[in-house]
Amino acid sequence: MTESVSVATLVDWLSSFRDAVHEQGTYLTELDSAIGDADHGANLIRGMDAVMGAVAGEVSTVGSAGDLLKKVGMTLVTSVGGASGPLYGTFFLRAATATGDATSLDAAAVLAMLRAGLEGIVARGKAEAGDKTMYDALAPGLDAFASALESGRDVLGAAEAAADAAADGRDATEPLIALKGRASYLGERSVGHIDPGAASSALLLRALADALAAAG
Amino acid sequence: MIGIVVVSHSAALAAAAVALAEEMVHGSGPVVAVAAGAAGGFGTDATEVSAALARAASPDGVLVLMDLGSAVLSSELALELSSPTHPVRLSSAPLVEGLVAAVVRAAGGADLETVAREAEAALLPKATALAEHGLSAAPAPALVAVPGASVRLTLVNPQGLHARPAAQIATAVGALAAEVAVEAGGRRADAASSLELMTLAAGQGTEITVSATGADAEQAIATVSELVLAGFGELEAS
Repeated sequence: MTESVSVATLVDWLSSFRDAVHEQGTYLTELDSAIGDADHGANLIRGMDAVMGAVAGEVSTVGSAGDLLKKVGMTLVTSVGGASGPLYGTFFLRAATATGDATSLDAAAVLAMLRAGLEGIVARGKAEAGDKTMYDALAPGLDAFASALESGRDVLGAAEAAADAAADGRDATEPLIALKGRASYLGERSVGHIDPGAASSALLLRALADALAAAG
Repeated sequence: MIGIVVVSHSAALAAAAVALAEEMVHGSGPVVAVAAGAAGGFGTDATEVSAALARAASPDGVLVLMDLGSAVLSSELALELSSPTHPVRLSSAPLVEGLVAAVVRAAGGADLETVAREAEAALLPKATALAEHGLSAAPAPALVAVPGASVRLTLVNPQGLHARPAAQIATAVGALAAEVAVEAGGRRADAASSLELMTLAAGQGTEITVSATGADAEQAIATVSELVLAGFGELEAS
């Protein structure tokens, strides 16, 4: 059973997300070129490279989870550029508020961290279920995380359930009409394309599961 | 005087929009601070917006004009990050039209609420012009009689009451304690609003009626008359 998550594991999560956006960057940008401005992959690669540069010393100096996540949020805000800057930035800034000074998070604290982040995205982007946004991957992911904990699984099991549910949520954005963001200008022409924000959000939750699995 | 912040995905777009707007102001205008572009390309950066809010800070408040998408998200996040002590309004106005309207109205000394309303009504001249061609529907302001000082004048400059003369009248009138109206062709416009003046579409030779109430009413009539009779400084060339 994985009982608690250290700040070092949170850094591994970010590192794993950085690797994922590098690996999937072309795919994310392709999704974005269909219904957006063709920069989502490039923006997240630039943002996560900047994040890993900024937090490189964080593990050795043993900052709190809140310090780490706040630094991540501010770095994304200043380096991403597109709408994903303020959205992912707000996700991590709110997540930082939820974790505060903690240096180790139990499963409930991880869920609270993710939920605060999602609430931040909702407050910032006013997205609702079915608007074809990041929300459509994150919300079912977090619901699955909570259900898994309730049914007795550990934080790794919950993160894996969240990653699976987020991937399903991502795929379910394909037939939707975009109601938020640049894609909403396309109206019905956005149908038939997976939302790039939902795709990168699914990667974020998959990266968490991968980091927890590696931490044992 | 209020401050103005422009948030755009493009540094070039923001710079050009500001230059266009500032061309309308003669004398001192509001501080216009720009936050545009990110990481050397198109984009917006909430920390840049925070810095621009600080540069434009005024006890009278700050109006923020934005282009699309993340410009709005970044501006909202900037407010959260910087929690300014003076009032800040995020405007739903279209960037270019809204900025021109806001800069002119702010230069006239109007308060934040008034400038914000002016910016949000900034599509009115375009809508009115297109309505005249049957392309769009916009109601013409009703003609209402007001007691007080008034004068009838004829526009002598070749282009009539276009954007720059309208801005000159609005700026001059905005500095006075008077409610000033200009009527032409059965329409009435608030003289403190360059946008409303432009909706009169009053060309050369049009007879206009300027009326004013308030403490500075006579001075307002005199000032507007002077501008009109001098052809808004556009007669030198002819």
